[in-house]
Amino acid sequence: MNQNTVQIEFTINGKKVTTNIPSHVTALHVIREIMGLKGSKEGCGIGECGACTIQVDDKAVNSCLMLGAQLHNRDVMTIEGLSKEKKLHPLQEKFIENHAVQCGFCTPGLLMSTHAFLKENENPDRQEITRAIAGNLCRCTGYQQIITSIEAALQDESCRGGE
Amino acid sequence: MNKKYRSVGRSIRKKGGVEKVKGDPVFAGDIELDNPLVLKVKRSAYAHALIRNINTEEALKIDGVKGVFTSKDIPGVNLLGIINRDQPLLAEERVRSLADGIALVAAETEEAAQLGIDAIHVEYEKLPAVFNPVEALKDGAPKIHAKGNVLFTRAVLKGNADDGFEKAYSIIEKEYTTSAIEHNYMEPDAGAGFVDEDGCLVIYASTQNPHYDHKELVSLFALEDENVRIIQAATGGGFGSKLDLNVQGFIGLALLHLKVPVRYVYSREEAYLATAKRHPFTIKIKTATDRDGRLIATRVRAVCNTGAYGSYGIAVASRSAVHGTGPYSVENVDIEVKCVYTNQTYCGAMRGFGAPQMALAHESQMDLHAEVLGIDPLAIRLLNGLEVGSLSGTGQLLTSSVGFKDCLHAIAPYYEEAKKSWVSTCSTPFKRRGVGLGAMWYGIGNTGVQNPSTARVTMEPDGTVTVFTGCAELGQGSTTVLCQIVAEILGISPDEISMVVGDTRYTTNAGATSASRQTYISGNAVKDAAESLANVLLTEAVNRLQVPKNTLVLENGEVTTTGNPDCGIGIAVLAGRIHDKGGVLSWQGYFDPETVPLDPKTGAGVPYATYAFACQMAMVEVDTLTGEVTVEKVVAAHDVGRAIHPENVVGQICGGVAMGVGFALMEKFEQGKTESMKDYHIPTASDVPEVVAIIVESEEPTGPFGAKGVGEPALIPTAPAVINGISSALNYRIYDLPASLERVLEASIQAGHFGVQEE
Ligand code: FES
Ligand code: FES
Repeated sequence: MNQNTVQIEFTINGKKVTTNIPSHVTALHVIREIMGLKGSKEGCGIGECGACTIQVDDKAVNSCLMLGAQLHNRDVMTIEGLSKEKKLHPLQEKFIENHAVQCGFCTPGLLMSTHAFLKENENPDRQEITRAIAGNLCRCTGYQQIITSIEAALQDESCRGGE
Repeated sequence: MNKKYRSVGRSIRKKGGVEKVKGDPVFAGDIELDNPLVLKVKRSAYAHALIRNINTEEALKIDGVKGVFTSKDIPGVNLLGIINRDQPLLAEERVRSLADGIALVAAETEEAAQLGIDAIHVEYEKLPAVFNPVEALKDGAPKIHAKGNVLFTRAVLKGNADDGFEKAYSIIEKEYTTSAIEHNYMEPDAGAGFVDEDGCLVIYASTQNPHYDHKELVSLFALEDENVRIIQAATGGGFGSKLDLNVQGFIGLALLHLKVPVRYVYSREEAYLATAKRHPFTIKIKTATDRDGRLIATRVRAVCNTGAYGSYGIAVASRSAVHGTGPYSVENVDIEVKCVYTNQTYCGAMRGFGAPQMALAHESQMDLHAEVLGIDPLAIRLLNGLEVGSLSGTGQLLTSSVGFKDCLHAIAPYYEEAKKSWVSTCSTPFKRRGVGLGAMWYGIGNTGVQNPSTARVTMEPDGTVTVFTGCAELGQGSTTVLCQIVAEILGISPDEISMVVGDTRYTTNAGATSASRQTYISGNAVKDAAESLANVLLTEAVNRLQVPKNTLVLENGEVTTTGNPDCGIGIAVLAGRIHDKGGVLSWQGYFDPETVPLDPKTGAGVPYATYAFACQMAMVEVDTLTGEVTVEKVVAAHDVGRAIHPENVVGQICGGVAMGVGFALMEKFEQGKTESMKDYHIPTASDVPEVVAIIVESEEPTGPFGAKGVGEPALIPTAPAVINGISSALNYRIYDLPASLERVLEASIQAGHFGVQEE
């Protein structure tokens, strides 16, 4: 490989991968174009919208602001890793039950942020939830049904602590 | 509501919801094609100029560049526009705004495409440009189109306004302005395509109107209908701007010449630069009441800036004029709205077509009148509100489904409570609280023109049902709602119905997903088709069950007789029998609302078959030292006729309120300054109020199960409610949107609140 590529090794949605990537591309590019996981979206490319949110070592990050090379040795989760086989994650169930999804473009990013947030926060109040998702813009829903879904998830043991 | 429905009125799980929470839907930018070329457009360097020469030779030499196209490569009619055709896909001899495309580059990589763009040399002859519509109207202003700078004027005249002002007890005359607004759907415009084995251009697009896209491409490239196929990709919001042809034409042009897969995904920056905005308005309004507060005259002179092209400008001018009275009965009306060309990026449809701008004016006036007369803002709205039997400004007699006063009554208890106990409990001396009302009416469908929808409902001989509709789903939920309507008619579960949506090869024209029209119009079209199908099933069942047809009902996948559920026959059996006899199991439905075109001089006519109504109340807290406004809560009462899917209605209301808060307080698109999402802020979860959504159901007799619409109405009352709230908090009124920090702070200073309150 020429000098403009780097080899990275990381875990994505539980699977170990090794791949060569151009050194200048973003983590979002690696995920979408190299891994072919198109659930993570680009809404702005500059860290303003949250549509590209993924989890890196359990923390929600804007993958458009991160270099692909920084994924090396990290544990990455994208929306594709949230449901197991055919079974939806309970948080996804709550989003459906509470009508939190309209166009669905912001949804993967929102679910990634929320999922990471709930791992660290046992019992957040409405205001904390609101703050946690304030980096994920949604132009369709006005957020209310999203926040309701997250509150509903808090009532459900299985939504916490990751899986 | 006394009839029991099985599907209608229930908040079932949305079609496609499971896919969406998994990130599965394929948006146009996600489509996998075999080594697609990427496209990029060279746009104008000047807001107004003549093009002397375009040299593409250097660009073509760049490694990886596979094609460079200009207007000369467009074989058909190089003009776009759904209402008036004035916008070239690629400029010919003139550019009229910075958004204008001059050449299209197709290349193997983004980098090569950019190098190609940079290597195109355009010789311009700069022309004076004009950005302010008032300036553009003056003699000697730069002429943007051959026909002049006035795109369209709509007048609405009734009675004699001068007489009204003559008799008036109180007259208030003010000027209001609103800003250009970026739709900022989360998915930037995108499309992708290939040429299939029959030579058909197949294009996946993020769009609100696939059948319109199809028509434009056929005309641009002088092709036959069957040589273009538009498939609506998953679409990440639209709000009006995906009604225009954004990337579709460029994809078509590249496919036409290169015949290899291509894709075009706008960066957010390009979407800002090149797509339509909400028309900024300047509204001069003079209204008069009698001693009791009854409106007796209104005169409006408004100018809206459509930028370089018409897009939906004519509809915006027309609708805003019709809605200029607000949801009130006014005897004497004299309204004129002019839509004017300038050299700004063009403006088009955005959630409300001019009604949100007009609502700022009429709702502010209502509060001003109430104040002068010493009556309550709610009372003056109740006094003047439209009801069954009222005549609108266009002379339309409202005969049914006028739930405006029901909305006001629904708000009343919240309003009284907020005024009584919330306003006065402000915790800090630097903050002041206010409660504001905003009301609206909104005609469903296009203004005084035909706007039909068609649909097909098909049953296989084994009883499986498929609905074919050209109605673009943008996330608002039309696919689910149309499915519920068909399920209700056929007596089956919505889960058993397959929906084929927005594919011009298989679906027929449903018109645009705009004007809050799809539930009402496409809802009626699918209902019509489903009823035809139901009819043949029932006829067939008569034969089997040996009972009169009028005793039969479709229920739980069977035809049964009323009162004897044991005696039934499955629809699959019936379908098989109909099929075997050569009967028809596939039915086309059609609906076009009854309207009467508006008189060009007086605006008289019946612009819409039905109207939605709403009133919202905003509880706002203003920081008198910083100008910061917090909208604590919005109570929103909406007459939707009937909520086919109540949670969808709530979702529209919450989303509309959020967008309305942005319109009221923070959003302003400035050409040349607003380049990326760093420069343009839309409400985050922290900026939006708690929303109490109240659904009022004043059934529309011509609506499917009584339904009207809610998409745009959801947003319209919010900004005036917030502005009226600020005004009541500060005792000082803001007339210009957005009520930004600076404007609110200025208002606070002017009103003498800047500083610690005495109490
Ligand atoms: S695309 Fe990464 S934050 Fe918007
Ligand atoms: S659901 Fe459309 S942006 Fe959030």
